[in-house]
Amino acid sequence: MKVLLIVPAYNEEKTILKTYKDIIKYNEHKKEKYDVIVINDGSKDSTKEIIEKNNIPHINLIHNLGIGGAVQTGYKYAYENNYDIAIQLDADGQHDVKYVKDIIKPIITDNCDLVIGSRYIDKNASEFKSTKARQYGIKIISFIMKLVTKNKIYDTTSGFRACNRKVIKKFSSDYPTEYPEPITTTELLKQGYSIKEVPVSMKERAGGKSSIRSWKNFYYMINVCLSILMISIRRYKDGV
Amino acid sequence: MEFKLKISLLIFSVILFIITTVVLKKERIPIKYSLLWYFSAVIILLVSIFPTALELFQNFFGFEALSNLIIGIFISILLFLTMSLTIIISGQNKKIILLIQEVSALKSKLEERDKK
Repeated sequence: MKVLLIVPAYNEEKTILKTYKDIIKYNEHKKEKYDVIVINDGSKDSTKEIIEKNNIPHINLIHNLGIGGAVQTGYKYAYENNYDIAIQLDADGQHDVKYVKDIIKPIITDNCDLVIGSRYIDKNASEFKSTKARQYGIKIISFIMKLVTKNKIYDTTSGFRACNRKVIKKFSSDYPTEYPEPITTTELLKQGYSIKEVPVSMKERAGGKSSIRSWKNFYYMINVCLSILMISIRRYKDGV
Repeated sequence: MEFKLKISLLIFSVILFIITTVVLKKERIPIKYSLLWYFSAVIILLVSIFPTALELFQNFFGFEALSNLIIGIFISILLFLTMSLTIIISGQNKKIILLIQEVSALKSKLEERDKK
């Protein structure tokens, strides 16, 4: 099983090196090693220099694309280099590499297509649960997704997700630029892919800013809800 | 319809037609986008030539004055044009993203190779 960690990084000069070193440290004791690709999304700080100086495997986007475009570049890389599993791991220190094995396990053993590392599935699992307002927003998105797909997903905006080759192929040809997580999860559910949530703990971000900025929250909610409702009336040719 | 309004519309339509043709001649826009503008010019032309048909519409849609209906038609054309532009831009946006991704991946691969 070839596993690739996709690390999207936008202005993460403070945390990117630690994130990478954590992965390398984790790999040292393991038989099966994870490959890493950092996607530098046109950072304006010294992220690029840090990546290059430390020989971190990377792709420098020549212009900022936003989280979706950056992660998709990772999926394309995974597809072209024949990876079996790709997993997104944020560069800001929120995602802990030790949970990767839990997240990819359902893909290996149960033939799952997508696995979401979830903060909310086990109430005590995560020390960091984000702000109340954001938790409430996630609940609303979760509710609408349940309406549309009849499936309950708890952590709808978690970026800590792993997928198999079938989904890697799908994502590399089509991935939304904005608000990718809830939208792609809904799409996959609607098309009959199997999705599982596993409990993980997330840390508060060590540096950098969330791609969901506070003043944009309202706009974000409307966009995501509308996108999900759109998916419900869209027809898909290629179901599984 | 008032004669003055008729003439104004006629002139406007001709100007739009000429501008589109000039822009097209200078190859500033491709043929397919020019059709949109020619189409708009033709609608305005029809309005100025056949105002009677317009008066039917006026009653049907409940406009009090014919000039209001004409403004309504103009706004509709504009909305249609902006919607088309939004669609065109969105398509281009997708292509730009694809380009950035592919070029970036290629560039990184080349740099990697140069190092070795």
